[in-house]
Order: sequence, then C-alpha cells, then structure tokens
Amino acid sequence: MSCIHRASAGLKLGVSLALIVGLAALPAERAWWGLCALPLLLLVAMLARLSFRTLLRRWALGAPFLLGASSLAWFQPHGSGVALGLFAKSAICLLTLQLLASTTTIAELTRTLRRLRVPAPLCETLALLARYSSLLNDEARRMRRARSGRTFRSSRLLYWHALGSALGLLFIRTVARAERVQSAMRARGGA
Amino acid sequence: MHIPDGFLSARVALGYAGLSSLGLGAACYRLRAQRDRGASALLGVSAAFVFAAQMVNFPVAAGTSGHLMGSALAGALLGLPGALLVMTAVIIMQCFVFADGGVFALGANVFNMGLVGCVVGFCCYRLLCGAAPSPTRRVASVAFAGWCATLAGALSCAGQLSLSGTARLSVVLPAMLGVHALIGVGEAVISSLIVASVLRFRPELLETSAQTPLTARPRRSAIYAGLGLSLAIAALLAPIADAAPDGFSRVTQALGLHSTTSAPSLAPFSHGIPGVASGVLATLLAGCVGTLLLFGLCWLLALALVPRPRSSEPSRGVAVEPSG
Repeated sequence: MSCIHRASAGLKLGVSLALIVGLAALPAERAWWGLCALPLLLLVAMLARLSFRTLLRRWALGAPFLLGASSLAWFQPHGSGVALGLFAKSAICLLTLQLLASTTTIAELTRTLRRLRVPAPLCETLALLARYSSLLNDEARRMRRARSGRTFRSSRLLYWHALGSALGLLFIRTVARAERVQSAMRARGGA
Repeated sequence: MHIPDGFLSARVALGYAGLSSLGLGAACYRLRAQRDRGASALLGVSAAFVFAAQMVNFPVAAGTSGHLMGSALAGALLGLPGALLVMTAVIIMQCFVFADGGVFALGANVFNMGLVGCVVGFCCYRLLCGAAPSPTRRVASVAFAGWCATLAGALSCAGQLSLSGTARLSVVLPAMLGVHALIGVGEAVISSLIVASVLRFRPELLETSAQTPLTARPRRSAIYAGLGLSLAIAALLAPIADAAPDGFSRVTQALGLHSTTSAPSLAPFSHGIPGVASGVLATLLAGCVGTLLLFGLCWLLALALVPRPRSSEPSRGVAVEPSG
C-alpha cells in the first residue's frame, strides 16, 4: 500500500475529475498543452509503485477506440491537427482514469458516493454489482466451457444459439441467487 | 458507444449529466415509492448479470465483434426504473474499474446507453407486446426493441459528438448509424435468445414486469405498431439530418472554432435516390424500408425460436437442459 493507495477516495476522485475537466475545456488548437500533465501522472504512477508495463498494456487496450473516435474529426477544415490534438487529450484522460481505477477500490468509491448524497438505490445496486460480478463472470465462463465440451460440431448457428441460451440460463440462475440473497438479508434483520 | 474523456465540450458534458441525473432521480423516486424492498437484491444481482453478459463478445462481420448493450433486455425483464438503475450502475462500474468511457463523459454515456436505450427499448417492447402477448410476439418485440435501442443510443451519441464540435454531423452520423445498425442486429438476436430461454424455463419472470391492464388486442395490432414505429423512426431521422448543420454551425461560432468559413454540408444526404426529388425524402424512404425489413426479420426470428405448441418433434431452437 503506497501513499497514493491510502489517500482518500474523495480526494483522488476530485483531483482526477479536475484534471479531466481542465483537459476537456482546452480549445481544439491548444490541445497539445494537455501533454504538460504527463510528468505529473508519471510521478503519481511511480509513487503508487505501479508497473509501467501493466499500465502501458492497459492503456494500449483503450487506445484503438480513441484513435477510431478521433479520426472522425479528421474530416473537417484543419481536421488533421484537431484529430491529433483530440487523441493526445483523450489519451492523457484515459491514463488519469486508469491511475484512479488502479489505486481505488469500488468499496471506497461506493462509500464516497454515499457521502455525496447519491440516492440509496443506486449505491446499493453498485455495491451488489461489485460483489457479485466476479461470481457471475466465473459462472458464465464455466457454463460456456461446459457447453463447448459437449458441442462437438461447430457452426455459426450453433455458436449463437449456445451463447444465447447460456446467457438465458445465467439470468434464471441470477434471479434464483437474488432470491437467496434477499432471504439471507431478511434473516439477518436487514432490508 | 462509450465516449471517452476529451471528446465532449464542457457545456455538452454538463448538460447531459444534468439530464441523466434528472432521469436517474425519477427512477430512484419511483423505486422508493413502490416500497418493494424485495427488489433491491434482484436489481443488484441483475446488474452483475448485465455486466457479465456484456463481457461476452459476438462476431458481427468480417472479424469485428460487438457486445450486448442490454438496455432493452433489462427493460423487458425488470421494468423501466429498474432497468435504468441497473444500466447506470453498470456504466459507472465500467468507467471506474475498466476505464471504459470517461468520468467527465459519464453523464452523456448514461444518457445514451441508460436513459435513451432503456426508454426507447422499453417503450418499443411494451408498444409491440400489448397485453397478454403470445411467446412469439414477446420474443419478436424484444428483438426489435433491442435494435431500436441500439440505434437510438448511437443517434444520441452522434448528436453529442457533433454538438461538442468534435466531428461534423455529416461524418459522425452515417458512421455511427451504419456500424450500430449491424451491432443492433447482434443485440436483437442475443436478446431474443435470452428471452426465449427465460420463457421456456421460468415464464412467470416476464409476467411480473408491471403489465398495465390494457384490453386484449388481436395479434394484428403488433404489425400496425411495428409499422407506426418504423415510420416514426424514419421520420425522426430525416429532419435531424436536414436541420442539424444549422445548430452545428451556431455551436461552432459560439465556441469560437474557425470552421464556419465553409458551411458544413450533408453530402451523403443531399444526393438522394435518383427519381426522388428531395434528399430528405430519399433518406426517409431508405430508413423506412430498412426498418420495416428488420421488423420482418425480427418476426421470422421469433417464429424460428419459439416452438409450435403442437409439434411432435422437439425443435433444436431451445433444446438445452437447465443444468447448464
């Protein structure tokens, strides 16, 4: 746990939001100024003892989307500069967001949102989502593995059908799980 | 369709954040007014389900792949306020955990995929379904609603990008709509497959989603509703294609961008089908025909997926054992 990990989630959220809003407010022809934030971000990454390789790999996953979206700006007068500036700006924003995501847990975030008076149903949904998403992901993976183990013939029609019916079954299991969770919560005096 | 940070101007981002927090507040108020505490766990775990379902990629065409958006599906399964809450939670989670979609653009993303997707998806579904629908009609409605929701989300996303002065509407609108018309087909197929298997194993789950007591209408009304919806979609698209450059150039002037010297023209829309006088009319016609074609395909898909009640041979369409 580094000092960046220990800092309060509200502070981190506020600082990164301020940086991102500042970058978004840069006019198109000054977008290159956004690169000034890069040393600051790298310093934070160093303080948080994050590996640069992991950071770069995660960034490279998101970069193609940025490239695709900013290439749309190419088709206007003086478009090439605008598109490049846009890409630089959004790449810095993506890096900021990744630093925030890798130093803040979702539980801290939910607590911060509750303190910011976000309505209770949304906070509850977020907390439950964080708790159960890895569980359901694993379940989906198991179901698909079981299906591919049993399906010997492979065709596009079968692939789609297996995908859809597996997801349908996953929803039915989800509802059953929700009923169990609800009765467990009731049994302990909650809700 | 997740807009990253840096693509929206501050004005657009804040405006859409305000709009989507209004919608979210209304949904929370509605859920609290229902006092249905039993639903809180269902919403949370369903959000995890949508999240897991979005992880699964399906091939679209020629090596590209798309994934489920799920707002129409959530609308059909959970009702409108619940679906809105679930989609918002999923989008927030994607933003903060996977850096998919920006923090500053969160309001706009929730607006596109949550508010617009759920409202359009749910309204299409309910309009096509009517009261006491047959399984075939339900599956066809979900499929068409999924396609409409995807397209509506893409439309609103293109509007935001062009309002921010990021790209011209004439470029971004055909690009977004073209790609998402294909992704929407995938969405329609997956949603209808999911609903078909829910209908097979636990049909009561679909009955509970707040059916308003309408008089039972004949099956033909679904066709009329589909026709009306297609016309509405096409009619909505055409004026946007026509009127938007004005708004765009006004915004660029207001922001001090220097692209106003050459007025943006809608090249793909101004040269219409030969024989049809106006470009707007041609767009309207093309959109109408495409949407109708898709509606027919959705109905055929539903006919293929839902087994006939009296057929002796078990169809392979839904032959899957519940043990998974």
